[in-house]
Amino acid sequence: MTQESPAVEVDHVSRWYGNIVAVNDISFALNGGITGLLGPNGAGKSTLLHMLAGFLRPSAGGVRVLGEPAWQNPAMYRRIGLVQERESVYPFLSGYEFVLDSARLHHIAEPEKAALKAIHMVELESAMSRATGGYSKGMKQRIKIAAALVHEPQVLLLDEPFNGADPRQRLQLMDMLRAMAKEGRTVVFSSHILEEVERLADDVLVIVAGRLAASGDFHEIRKLMTDRPHSFFLRASDNRRLAASLVADASVYGVELAGDDLRVSTSEFASFTQAVAGVARRAGVSIYEIRPTDESLESVFSYLVKR
Amino acid sequence: MIDPTILRLTVRQLLGQRRSIVMVLFALLPVLLAVLYALENDSSDAQGWTAKVALGGLVIGLVLPFTALVFGTAALGQEFEDGTAVYLLAKPIPRATIVFSKLVVAWAATTAVVVVSAALTGAIGLSGEPGEGIIAGFVAAAVVGSLVYCAAFLWLSIATSRALIVGLLYVFIWQGVVVSLFSGVRYFSISQYALGIAKAFITAPDDIFDPRLNVAPAVLFAVLVTVGATWLSVRALQRWEIGEAT
Repeated sequence: MTQESPAVEVDHVSRWYGNIVAVNDISFALNGGITGLLGPNGAGKSTLLHMLAGFLRPSAGGVRVLGEPAWQNPAMYRRIGLVQERESVYPFLSGYEFVLDSARLHHIAEPEKAALKAIHMVELESAMSRATGGYSKGMKQRIKIAAALVHEPQVLLLDEPFNGADPRQRLQLMDMLRAMAKEGRTVVFSSHILEEVERLADDVLVIVAGRLAASGDFHEIRKLMTDRPHSFFLRASDNRRLAASLVADASVYGVELAGDDLRVSTSEFASFTQAVAGVARRAGVSIYEIRPTDESLESVFSYLVKR
Repeated sequence: MIDPTILRLTVRQLLGQRRSIVMVLFALLPVLLAVLYALENDSSDAQGWTAKVALGGLVIGLVLPFTALVFGTAALGQEFEDGTAVYLLAKPIPRATIVFSKLVVAWAATTAVVVVSAALTGAIGLSGEPGEGIIAGFVAAAVVGSLVYCAAFLWLSIATSRALIVGLLYVFIWQGVVVSLFSGVRYFSISQYALGIAKAFITAPDDIFDPRLNVAPAVLFAVLVTVGATWLSVRALQRWEIGEAT
């Protein structure tokens, strides 16, 4: 890799299957640190990750990893590691054998030592002599991660790595990935869970319907997501009086009364949720129910795409 | 060109499958028939029955292709099915090394099963009659036929997710029906290559055993198909793309 080459470079990449466009003209460049690929299921995250890993040929555009083309370049795997989402292990191998064979296939000097080190990193020493066929989903995930980082790759690609992991394992894996990023490695992981990305990623790429909806610093994008127009459903002792009072609040830009329902539109999520109780109290109205009407992740993603 | 780790992984993979045990039992079928034949018949046509029916028909015509189909398609195809192919392919190993290693194991496993079946069937079927190279010929046919079949079925397992079905169609419809109806297509039958090679070792007269292909074209086509299928396997593996389900 030359000094100028980003660790991962995606240049106007598209991928389609017949008439279906899975990834649509995406470009970005990544260097060391942790990047989260965030998007709903079926958004194209795995397709993109598989193109980064050299397991899918882009229909258009190019992917370079550590300065080398990703497609049809097995030599690249000396410096990258891939953890795919599927629970694929050789069930007849013990956890240790699984990681040891990975080290041997990488032709590492002292493969036994490297295997033990990788297993220690995922804290699976106690189960390493057992056949992987009997592992839980979370254990399979961790042994796959150990096998993927046994050769200490410069770039680590992980597809939904926290699926099946319990909260403690999740935290441990996050700490491990953070430590790798601190060493200057590039970690790219996909997730459809906002909180996972929020807790781990420095940067985020939001993929929706095959398109790059947003990219960059996670906190900036999180703010965009939070400050988008929100809609709340309310039920109160006097909806009409509450509606009249809420209209006067600066955070509210729309009120709709329909039968027993009161719908309020706001552009400032935090201000509204803090203000609504005070407004109701001053109006002498009791609120029985309040809930956001469009808080699904898909609606957040859709908003980002429309912007 | 051969990776010992892939060899070991593949051997354990094949040995651990229930279908491997089924293939061993299936390979004992001609042996059982030979025993029945030896018990029930006089030995006047032992050579003809052993060469044409037991070895040519059952061992080379059925046991060999089915064993090769099971081991040839499972050696790598199993990994595409269960997703472990990515574990192997995400390593800095030339694709040719993966193909050669898988082919060697599939070939060795098929040869072990079919050679034992051919040798036992031949020895029991002949029941002390002069062999005139029949056993040696069919053992050689089993060894070479195993390689050609495994190379072809290994390629099939990379090229299509329905390798077993396509392989069965080839064995049953193409070799079983089309080749027997149209003599001209015998050049495209791996079983015919194996039988042609067997003839090189057999000194018995043609009324005992007379394959449709002579030795020279049988060897030539066996080499062409093996090299061609292996080259196609390497090429297909270099261009292999992960499926949506993988």
